[in-house]
Amino acid sequence: MLNLLNTLASICIIIGLFFMVVAAIGLVRFPDFYSRAHACGKCDTLGEGMMLLGFILYEGASLVSVKLLLLIIFIFVTSPTALHAIMHFAYTSGVKPWKKGDARE
Amino acid sequence: MNRPSVSRYILTFAILISFWYILSGRPEPFYVGSGIICCAIVTYISGDLLFRSEVSILESARTFIKFVFYIPKLLVAIIYANLDVAYRVLHPKMPIDPGFITVDTSFRGDVLRTAFANAITLTPGTVTVDVSDGRFVVHALVREAAEEDLLRERDMEHDLARVFGEESRPPSDETRGL
Repeated sequence: MLNLLNTLASICIIIGLFFMVVAAIGLVRFPDFYSRAHACGKCDTLGEGMMLLGFILYEGASLVSVKLLLLIIFIFVTSPTALHAIMHFAYTSGVKPWKKGDARE
Repeated sequence: MNRPSVSRYILTFAILISFWYILSGRPEPFYVGSGIICCAIVTYISGDLLFRSEVSILESARTFIKFVFYIPKLLVAIIYANLDVAYRVLHPKMPIDPGFITVDTSFRGDVLRTAFANAITLTPGTVTVDVSDGRFVVHALVREAAEEDLLRERDMEHDLARVFGEESRPPSDETRGL
């Protein structure tokens, strides 16, 4: 039983790491500001969520798990909000979006 | 503005004190005591913030429960969104076609607008950029797919409207002027 939980925890953490790596790759590969924000804003949210879920499974039922659960909720509320704030500021200050067919930066 | 009733204060205090206990995790009298004092001060200052006085507590509770039941659907959408972005990041040709689209809704409530904007941000290839009077400017990673989701199917819009008890018909000319 303990082994099963630990395995599940590892799987969750590895999936989370995968999404974090994808976010980093996207940050480098995507052509303009907006799509880069897409990559890191989204994959970070799920990546962090999955990693924290893995930590919860590893920790078991305790007060620390409750704190981690609160962290997940907090991240899922704030991360899109922060992403939105950044995008909104770029939009109002006139950052030009990249269109299909344009040259890459 | 009418003063919040006592039950609102008690509920706010109960939520704050349980949050305090989760974060501190110590049952000693000193920690619990200082928690009670702090929570009492915060409740006194901002007891009206958590449960707004113009909405009844029962109504807020109903909305909250409906929202909790909506979360699994949102989670599936989030995971799908992430897989989609991951696919586009890792694909050698990087099949993206970014652009802005505008979504018109008839949403009035602040919380509903926030929830919708956050849901858009979390789901496939779209980020809310600007909101004004129920009109959402959305940046999409793949414009056509986002138009399909947000302008033609409008699944998420209907779901959220049901959760918060508002209508979700596309705004006619009369509501657009608001």
